[in-house]
Amino acid sequence: MRSSRESTAVTEPHVYRMIENVEKVVVGKRKEIELSFIALLSGGHVLLEDVPGVGKTMMVRAIAKSLGAQFKRIQFTPDLLPSDVTGVSVFNQKTMEFHFRPGPIMANVVLADEINRTSPKTQAALLEALEEGSVTTDGETRKLQEPFFVMATQNPIEYGGTYPLPEAQLDRFLFKFKIGYPSKNEELEVLNRVQKQHPIEQLAPVLTLEDLINLQRKVLEVYVDETVKQYIINLVNATRMHRSVYLGASPRASIALMKAGQAYAFMQDRDFVVPDDIKYLAPFALSHRILLSSDAKLSDMTNERVVSDIVAQVNVPVGKEAAR
Amino acid sequence: MKKAGKQQRSSILHLFIYGLSFLLLWEWLRPIPTVTNTGHIHVFLWFALFSSILIYFRISLFLSIPALLAGSIYSLHSIFGENPFFSREGGLETLQQFLAEAASNIQLIFSWELAGLTDFFRTFLLFLLLALICYLLYFWIFHTKKIFFFLLATIIYITVLDTFTAVDASMAIIRIFVISFFIMTLLHMLKIQTEERAIRKKDKLIFSTAWMYTLIVMVLIATSVGYAAPKFEPQWGDPVPTIKRLVTGQEGGWGSGSGSRRIGYGDNDERLGGGFIQDDGIVFTAETEEPVYWRGESKNVYTGHGWTSEPMEAESESIFENAVDYYMFHRNVQMEEQRVRILMEHVPGYSHLFYPGQLIDVERSTLEYEIDGRKADDPLAFMTDILSGKVRAEGPNPNARIRLAEYTLTVQTPKYSLEKLKNVSPEDPENIRNYFLQLPDTLPERVIELAEEITADYDNRYDKVVAVEQYFSRNGFEYRTEDVPIPEGGEDYVDQFLFESQYGYCDNYSTAMAVLLRAVDIPTRWVKGFTEGEYVGNTDDGNRRYEIANSNAHSWVEVYFPEVGWVPFEPTQGFNNRLDFEEAEREQNHAVNTPVESNEPEQERPELDDLMSPLENDAFSDYEGPSGGAAFGTGTDTSGWLTAKTVIISIVVLLMAVIVYRRQSRIQNRYFLLQYRLIGSDERFGTAYRRLLRLLANEGMPLEDGETLREYATRVDRMLNSDAMTSLTKTYEKIYYGGRQAEGDWQKQKEQWERLVNALSS
Repeated sequence: MRSSRESTAVTEPHVYRMIENVEKVVVGKRKEIELSFIALLSGGHVLLEDVPGVGKTMMVRAIAKSLGAQFKRIQFTPDLLPSDVTGVSVFNQKTMEFHFRPGPIMANVVLADEINRTSPKTQAALLEALEEGSVTTDGETRKLQEPFFVMATQNPIEYGGTYPLPEAQLDRFLFKFKIGYPSKNEELEVLNRVQKQHPIEQLAPVLTLEDLINLQRKVLEVYVDETVKQYIINLVNATRMHRSVYLGASPRASIALMKAGQAYAFMQDRDFVVPDDIKYLAPFALSHRILLSSDAKLSDMTNERVVSDIVAQVNVPVGKEAAR
Repeated sequence: MKKAGKQQRSSILHLFIYGLSFLLLWEWLRPIPTVTNTGHIHVFLWFALFSSILIYFRISLFLSIPALLAGSIYSLHSIFGENPFFSREGGLETLQQFLAEAASNIQLIFSWELAGLTDFFRTFLLFLLLALICYLLYFWIFHTKKIFFFLLATIIYITVLDTFTAVDASMAIIRIFVISFFIMTLLHMLKIQTEERAIRKKDKLIFSTAWMYTLIVMVLIATSVGYAAPKFEPQWGDPVPTIKRLVTGQEGGWGSGSGSRRIGYGDNDERLGGGFIQDDGIVFTAETEEPVYWRGESKNVYTGHGWTSEPMEAESESIFENAVDYYMFHRNVQMEEQRVRILMEHVPGYSHLFYPGQLIDVERSTLEYEIDGRKADDPLAFMTDILSGKVRAEGPNPNARIRLAEYTLTVQTPKYSLEKLKNVSPEDPENIRNYFLQLPDTLPERVIELAEEITADYDNRYDKVVAVEQYFSRNGFEYRTEDVPIPEGGEDYVDQFLFESQYGYCDNYSTAMAVLLRAVDIPTRWVKGFTEGEYVGNTDDGNRRYEIANSNAHSWVEVYFPEVGWVPFEPTQGFNNRLDFEEAEREQNHAVNTPVESNEPEQERPELDDLMSPLENDAFSDYEGPSGGAAFGTGTDTSGWLTAKTVIISIVVLLMAVIVYRRQSRIQNRYFLLQYRLIGSDERFGTAYRRLLRLLANEGMPLEDGETLREYATRVDRMLNSDAMTSLTKTYEKIYYGGRQAEGDWQKQKEQWERLVNALSS
């Protein structure tokens, strides 16, 4: 097992080729692209929370194109029904049989746009797909394609006409982060690029789906030491202890953090996870998984601040004899 | 401007703390006069203050060393000099003496003849030590801001002195605690302030007036509650005798060594003087027909500071069927026989007998004793010192420790004929004259003159003796057990008592009387033992039972009367030797003896003179020889604490401590490098790295909360302007988080390693 881990180093250029490919379309968002790839490599999903027009859709389309993967987009509206997501069985009068017409969820890369605009019922239809990788309609469970990657976007909750996502569903996203506005220079670059033709049209795949599945397997082999696992547990536990938190992160959060850590280490061409990886990823992986107490909300506390508090306080394991 | 003001304020606080620590130093000096023979303690205190001020103002060494030298010479002058310092031959003389003494004493130091150092130079060394301690205090407060070690040392010092010596530290310990509270709190506050300023967390000064008031009130409350609260009695018995026995391997109470001490019966009387503490520990229980003084031994050589004697022992085992061959009284003295029984307590325990009057017989059947702490029935021999009257038991092994537990004695108490005492011939036998008229050459002439003056009006020995015995009470001498001075330098113990202090306790009175009588050619010896003790009830057979405690330890005088023997006298005021209690026949309110008309002697016995003579040739010829085995413990000789040797060793140790303290980080780093250079290997990389973390933490770069090693390494490298830490950290990550064995990393990393440690040292 040890020896096999030595060989993972050669895969790193693939990942970076992909990131560079996506960067042709999305300007100056390297960190966010990296996070998306971490989610992709560790089989997780991403929730983007941002105002419209900052390039959410463009990013997810670029990722799909780079993979040569099947891309579907679901625009969530208040009147969208669960079957509009999962697919529906229609009666074929010729064959006198019900025939399943797969919904937009049956793809490799799915953009679930403005997910909080739809009713909780429809949001729940996503639930099974995100966690199990399968959907059930008319009593029949259908396996989704592999790899399966959902990038959902939501408008900031303060905006009108939104249904906040249920906690159970939020927990199923690996990361939640913002894209944010580009800087002036970056925005200028965006204008220059799209002036003649949108670069997404010329984007070519750099990786096959099989390549991606192979990479995902190799990510699982990245070594996580007991001490690092302990660090993850300490972090997650700290969210449960924090006085501003009403509901702390679940064990699923620990798993997510570990898997993300593995993917991040893999991306950096390292075959073991260091606490730095975990520390870097923790805000993205944990802040959407906790519920603040009402006191904390009233005193302008945010989830992000709680998590960065915790990260700054929980001691990193450095060896038993070392002095702090 | 504002910052400057803050600096000012905190340096005032520093000064305040420094002042407090100076008070602690005072506490160190305070008990010294009680414990040792050192006097003029205020001079030392002024000198310490002077050097503290010099150090505080950070005067350069070129100025401060001459200033300290001048200060110590001036102080030496005020101790040893006779003329005013600024007179013609005042200071200059001291300076010349200092130069001469320094030259000769430094030679002595180099030839390691420390005992030969003069008092003058020792005092100078003590000044040096004080200046060093002042510097240490300054260093602790202003640089390291840690003083706990000094506080702890002070408390240990004071408690040890309180336990083992006459120093009463019950107030001192309160003072020390209050001062310590203040120092520690203030220093801690200073430290917090410095840290906060370093990270610019707070710009506000934390030493508000309210803070100080709170501190003062807290300390006051804590102290007064502690002072007023009920306290347990000591849960254990006095550990001192036990410790002493363990340490010295000897039995015995505290001796009458120099310095002050606990009262009790001891062996060492070479330096008398100083106050003592009452100790009501029971020594033995006695059953007698009447109250008697319990005689332990006597001494015959007066040294000017105390008493010594060389034992001249004769074995007396064979004659127990008849009698012990030591006689105090001439055969024609009327004697009364009685039996006394003694039950010794376990502590302190003695190997010699205590008895009143004349010892006749030890009843073998009732004798119980321990050898080396175990109950034994090995045959005992009794060695009688025919000079002192001490009867010592000796087992088959002469070196074994014997403790007599219980014995019954047959003794005779004499009745003296007053007429006979007044009419004895003035001619003493020659060996009595040889041994009991000794006086030191250093005895001041005025003592002899006083003796002649007191006795001038009397023509017979008895009247002369009584005149001296009563001289003290008639001339306003005062009985006192505290603040009794100890003769210093060449001063004579008796001379000091007679002409200067004129107060003291039994040792002063008895020694003075013995010496005064010797000065007019009357043979005397100095006797030690116990007074009659406290009457506690009757025994079944009608005897009276007495408890004799350490505080009953006593000394008195025996005077030789030709053809009578040794007659005890009691010069000490307030004491009454009821050796033979017949008030009616007493004359001149004589407190000791009741002479009666001589009757026929009850028992045939050899002449005292005859008895002494055969021993003259053998035992007495060894007189110059080394001291024979004293059976019980030597007293603590605390004057030895301030010898030149200890002072020099202390200075050297202090200097080394200062050096080590100031350079400790560098020494530690060197040690670290050396250690890993020698045993460095791949397996030890992890340990070495963690040591490095600790080292960095000691250097003020600790790993912060929540900081990863990588972040830390980057920070350290930025601070040290290197890249070594990052490189080392990568390797460590591989081992610690990567679960891999280090392979060849050590050789690769060694260079980084040394670069980093060296960067730390510079």
